Amino acid sequence: MGEACTLTSANDPPHAKAASNMNRKNLDVLRGTLSPVENDLVDHLLRGSVDRRGFLRHGSMLGLSLPLLGSIATGAGLMATPRAARAAGKPGGTIRVALIVPAGAIDPVTIADNGGLELLQSVGDYLCRTGPDFVLEPRLATNWTPDATGAVWTFKLREGVKFHNGTAMTAADVVATVDRLADPKNASNALSAFKGVLSKGGAQKVDDLTVAFHLDAPNGNFPYVLSSDNYNCIILPAAYAGDFEKNFVGTGPFKFESYTPKVGAAFVRNDAYWGGRPAPDRVEYTFYPDIQPMILALQGGQVDVIEQVVVSGGQAILNDPNVTIIRAKSSGHEQVHMRCDTGPFADKRVRQALALALDREKLVKGLFKGYASVGNDSPFAPAFPSTDTAIAQRKQDLRKAKELLAAAGVPKGFKVTLTTEHYIEIPDYAVLVQNAARAIGIDITLNVESQDAYYGKATYGQSDWLDSTMGITDYGNRGVPNVTLSAPLLSDGTWNSAHFKNKEYDGLVGSYVKALDLGGQKAAAGKIQTLLLDETPLLFGYFYDFLVVTRKGVEGIPAIPNRLTLEKATLPA
Amino acid sequence: MSLLTLFLLSLLVFAGGHLLPGDVGRAILGPLADPRAVAALDHQIGADRPLVTQYVTWLGGIVTGDLGLSLIYRQPVANFIGVALLNSLKLAAVAFVIVVPLGIFGGVVAALNVRTWIDRTITVVGLSATIVPEFCSGIALILLFGIWTHVFPISAAWPKGAGPLTQLYYLIMPAIPLVLVLFGYIARMARAGMVEALAADYTRTAMLKGLPWRTVVWRHVLRNALLPTITVIATQAGYLIGGLVVIETLFHYQGIGGLIYGAAKGKDFPMLEAGVLIVGLIYVVATLLADMLTTALNPRLRFGGGT
Repeated sequence: MGEACTLTSANDPPHAKAASNMNRKNLDVLRGTLSPVENDLVDHLLRGSVDRRGFLRHGSMLGLSLPLLGSIATGAGLMATPRAARAAGKPGGTIRVALIVPAGAIDPVTIADNGGLELLQSVGDYLCRTGPDFVLEPRLATNWTPDATGAVWTFKLREGVKFHNGTAMTAADVVATVDRLADPKNASNALSAFKGVLSKGGAQKVDDLTVAFHLDAPNGNFPYVLSSDNYNCIILPAAYAGDFEKNFVGTGPFKFESYTPKVGAAFVRNDAYWGGRPAPDRVEYTFYPDIQPMILALQGGQVDVIEQVVVSGGQAILNDPNVTIIRAKSSGHEQVHMRCDTGPFADKRVRQALALALDREKLVKGLFKGYASVGNDSPFAPAFPSTDTAIAQRKQDLRKAKELLAAAGVPKGFKVTLTTEHYIEIPDYAVLVQNAARAIGIDITLNVESQDAYYGKATYGQSDWLDSTMGITDYGNRGVPNVTLSAPLLSDGTWNSAHFKNKEYDGLVGSYVKALDLGGQKAAAGKIQTLLLDETPLLFGYFYDFLVVTRKGVEGIPAIPNRLTLEKATLPA
Repeated sequence: MSLLTLFLLSLLVFAGGHLLPGDVGRAILGPLADPRAVAALDHQIGADRPLVTQYVTWLGGIVTGDLGLSLIYRQPVANFIGVALLNSLKLAAVAFVIVVPLGIFGGVVAALNVRTWIDRTITVVGLSATIVPEFCSGIALILLFGIWTHVFPISAAWPKGAGPLTQLYYLIMPAIPLVLVLFGYIARMARAGMVEALAADYTRTAMLKGLPWRTVVWRHVLRNALLPTITVIATQAGYLIGGLVVIETLFHYQGIGGLIYGAAKGKDFPMLEAGVLIVGLIYVVATLLADMLTTALNPRLRFGGGT
């Protein structure tokens, strides 16, 4: 963990400076300046119920500066592990990246795909960004603070930031950007993330460098909703007219040089970048429709970096000794849903039985060559600081699974169809679930459809995803579990394919979302995890890692899930 | 007649495209997007209008030479079609120039040595090559010439501003799998035509009247033997231009095949229609050219039946 030492921001609050060379005594003095919520976090650190990483992650979300957090952690006796070696390569040159072809027009409002997103974030910035290990890093905002309930969050903006067209970035631009994305009339892809959290008009300018966000309801994880996690939220000029592709005007480390749809893009270094001069002179993106030609291009020396390699289909490059694999833990996963309201899975003992039939370690090895973490049948991935790690991991237990089936009145098992989408490793996962089920007498028929057919109209009654008795659905990486706790599991959730309805659960999620302090979040998380293990509406077999592959000697790319960051990247000398 | 074919084709593509599940707004925004955002986007790009209105508007544009806007890229379809068509034509031309003489030569040699080991070798090798899928031969070629020996670049996308010779150099490797697929096909047709022509009465007459063997083959046999081969080659034009999705993907080349595939996947109806129509048009033109060539080579047709 080196972020605490390497990251400083110009506008650190005054107590940050006093916090250097912290010892246990000074820590007590400093605590007098912190709010009750912040002090709760320090208590958790001192008690050992949150580790150094978790402390940084949660503290950064509350808007405490990283240098301050780092020194508190050091004062509490938790030394930072030595930071990763600094980039040894020399700055300059053109970094050539193989990128999955952007699925459509590059418009920050509508964009939903990894290819387009990658272009967006090399020319643009978020208010804050999830860094390695889910620590929230200040970007265009220098700090943020909630009011006592978490219903209003105030963001301070960085001074002196300029858009590529030379105009200064101010509160008006931030308000316009957020309003544009929260407006249901705008084809905004951020709308599902803003739903129930922030509405149009909720963002209000306080002064030129301060914005207050008045939320629909208190939310303890709100900064993530404005971070790179909600990827449409790059800050655009207030006058943005929907023509981003023309000149790619943002505040980011790289500036527009050229873009040809379906072919590629090139960006040059932005010397006026607020974060200091970016290392590469240029970044050149070549678009590929598929992973195989990307792998060949890297092996043939035509690109330096593959933006993302999935294990399924990417085995060849992962075994290649001439490449470097940058591995980031993520919360991305596949959910296996089982209908709780009707059919063979209506009895929770049957759902538990299937969950006990899975050998999760084997899934991680077989599907991901180990590049994944086992899941415990709840959205709480090991990567989240609020995850209650005291909850026991569910393990394969075929004897108990058969007992549960017998108790549920189906000792000989039953027949059921699993409907799912053709997407990366999902069809293979489906076969492994099928095999696991066979061991306890459940006979699963697979129905693997195109993604269009599977999601259908994405509303109840017109979607195999939401209507099937059993299915598997892909969920990408998120910095906090709020979305995956809500839409697929709440009684009125819009993606509730398991048709899980549980008042107690709804209440627990409410208190989790509201909780500002890590103590409150952890307590709710523990209860949610226990409840979901008992009810088991969804199976979470694993959380897969994000893998970036580079040729040997390319350095300075941080391990951030789903966000390739090139501003410090260097080529071998 | 050809226009009617193309019109029916456009109707078929339109109807077929809309039978598939999903809509364009959903395809752009992703499965998890808010339904309100999907509706707003569909409205912006006009995908929420009645199907008939969409088709008639599109048809009106086509008639005046306007291919419309890509729904997905929100740019004129013509920008994409022009580049992709030129690329496809270049790749097809390279493959064509290699495979046609080679295939005919193979067929002729086989026919002249009919039922010997030479004939059998050409037939077996040709047929085996035809059934190897392009992605197999393509990957083998890339490994062999691109990664292990570095003889050819592994991508067919040449650097900006490359001259015709450089472009040719980049196109040779992607053309080879096409040559492999087509060689056996053309050689077999040429062989069959030759065998038949060699056994024909006029050949016997020509030989009996004492013409040198070379003249018999060149002036009498080949000319008649190649007529069916030309028709076969013409029917492959559509495949060479629009059917190369796999090769284009593998060699990272922007052609019509990949364009149509992407448009169909993304429900980009104007792009899909334009792509399919272009391929249809090429097919029609190639057939026409083949007919004309057949006429030129066949005196009976050239002189108007001559009964």
